[in-house]
Amino acid sequence: MGKDLVFKALRHEKTDEVPWVPFAGVHAGKLKGYTAEEVLTDGDKLFESLMEVYKLYVPDGMTTLFDLQVEAEMLGCDLLWAKDNPPSVKSHPLHGEKRIPCSCQIPNENSGRLPMILDVMRRIKSEIGDEVALYGLICGPFTLASHLRGSDIFMDMITDPGYVSELIEFCGEIAIKMADMYIEAGMDVIAVVDPLVSQISPKHIDKLLTPTFTSVFDFIKSKGAFSCFFVCGNATKQIESMCKMHPDGISVDENVDLKKAKIVTDQYNITIGGNIPLTTTMLYGSQQDNMKCVIDLLDNLGHQNLIISPGCDMPYDTPIENTIAAAQAVKTPDSVREMIKNYQSVSFDDINVVIPDYNNLDKVLIEIFALDPEQCAACTYMVNIVKDNFNEIKDIADFEVYKYNIREDIARTMKMGITNLPTMCINGEPKWVSLIPGKDELISEVKKAYSLLKG
Amino acid sequence: MSRESILETAKQSIVEADEDMALEALKQAEESGIDLIDLLSNGYSAGMKELGDLFGSGEIFLPELMFATQVMKVATAEIESRMEPGDIKPKGVMVIGTVEGDVHDIGKGIVASLIKTNGVMVHDLGREVPAQVFIDKAKELNADFIGSSALLTTTMTQQKKIEELLETEGLKGKIRTMVGGAPVTQRWADRIGADAYCEDASEAVKKIMEWINQI
Repeated sequence: MGKDLVFKALRHEKTDEVPWVPFAGVHAGKLKGYTAEEVLTDGDKLFESLMEVYKLYVPDGMTTLFDLQVEAEMLGCDLLWAKDNPPSVKSHPLHGEKRIPCSCQIPNENSGRLPMILDVMRRIKSEIGDEVALYGLICGPFTLASHLRGSDIFMDMITDPGYVSELIEFCGEIAIKMADMYIEAGMDVIAVVDPLVSQISPKHIDKLLTPTFTSVFDFIKSKGAFSCFFVCGNATKQIESMCKMHPDGISVDENVDLKKAKIVTDQYNITIGGNIPLTTTMLYGSQQDNMKCVIDLLDNLGHQNLIISPGCDMPYDTPIENTIAAAQAVKTPDSVREMIKNYQSVSFDDINVVIPDYNNLDKVLIEIFALDPEQCAACTYMVNIVKDNFNEIKDIADFEVYKYNIREDIARTMKMGITNLPTMCINGEPKWVSLIPGKDELISEVKKAYSLLKG
Repeated sequence: MSRESILETAKQSIVEADEDMALEALKQAEESGIDLIDLLSNGYSAGMKELGDLFGSGEIFLPELMFATQVMKVATAEIESRMEPGDIKPKGVMVIGTVEGDVHDIGKGIVASLIKTNGVMVHDLGREVPAQVFIDKAKELNADFIGSSALLTTTMTQQKKIEELLETEGLKGKIRTMVGGAPVTQRWADRIGADAYCEDASEAVKKIMEWINQI
């Protein structure tokens, strides 16, 4: 079971497979056609989107809500909302005013968006909590302090470190309260996400951050949950200081050489996660790029104390097929290695593939171009939606499945110019790429194509 | 005190972010009759360059860089106040900003400060700046460079818009562009036709100085 795999990895035990934890934050909304703002503010839409992540990306562990601004919003920061990004903080209540906020501002279950978030966490827990390790993400105390104080905090670190310590301590209390609520709502792993840690020296970390962060990680562990530390940016020099705070896991983005970082985390027996590049590979790369990236990570790293993940929160518009490819590569590395070889094959000219004359068929032809339907969840769903409803359309339609591990099928996929899998074509025209149509949508498209055929 | 030793004090005052030392170097320079432009270029600015290199190689981090930049600003302001307007000619003119839809401006602010301390006139447009405003301001100031920062994968596309507008206005190649921000890469810069990608403030300064030397 995926959840046990993540637990084992975070307990630093040997595992047969490497766990896969996609960070589908706002991207989860894309799977159901919801905007980032909708998925971060509407519980039903968030729940529905997370269930789709579970279905399509076969995660061993998954994040619930990825928004580092939840705490800042409750503490009075104004947010700028976007359709396809998490919100950004646009005002800092402590800018130009050096004070510690009142402890009456520490959130409770009824603060800000927490009623919605905790409700979704409980629903997800009851629905798939036995299968998947659920991650609750909280804003790290240093990033939260910067949300409150703005960029003044960097100058404060030199001119008034005592104030910074105190502010971070306050933010640590918030982190502990958030972790407590999320664990009570069923989260198995609490990830303290603090992107700004990569911007300060190990000396500053040790002096100003370590006491607070260590107490947050200790609290999480004392409640029986796992603790992770997510950082963004080039945190190469900070990794060791992060290890000294004793989280169970650390997660880094593509700015860090995972191989070198793992040498350090292994010395502290901490699990490292990462680091498929978010833009060049996941957002703008091809399926092959994503498969190759994962295989390279798996081939270059020891598998104990390792989790494969995107570098950070996946961009909203990450092509779904790219994430499917990454998932497939983590789950079935051997067959994907073969697929990569096929992708890199110079030519399939020796294989004679006849493309049907789509305009002159007796029946509508449904063709599914898949990776490997036995192992790729999205491919299986795509095949099943046709199989399960085929009785209703069998008089007007035929149905074929092509797999990307059979040479003839690869040649056909290439000849059709299909680059993203799975894709479902109706009479040669790609209708659904990675997305699975509903029954009514499928039948309606087939009927429409049949009327066109019959003129 | 020799010129070399005063310039070295000025340089060290920046590297060590010591404002008192910076003002002491200025006093010594005045007493010794050292040209203040010489002090600025070969003393304080040399310190900023060293600091930029230390930042680029990860020897110092954001707080240290920001603090030292503040000391540099004080030193520069002191020198400027002692000179006639027009005595210090900017080495070039740059328009900089965070693109439309994006409010992240810490990194952009640091790049602007650091470039400014290297003798370039920098006009900071702030954050959430529409592509057209970059172009209009650059035309108005007859700028040599446009720098844009994008911290979100969705706002990166605004950097492409800047390149397209430059093309439309026939300014491509005349105004050089640099792009930066967390999701931005060399590959992105190549793809949209930006003249440079800079990973951090020190790279941005190096690139600007390289361009200035070519002008």
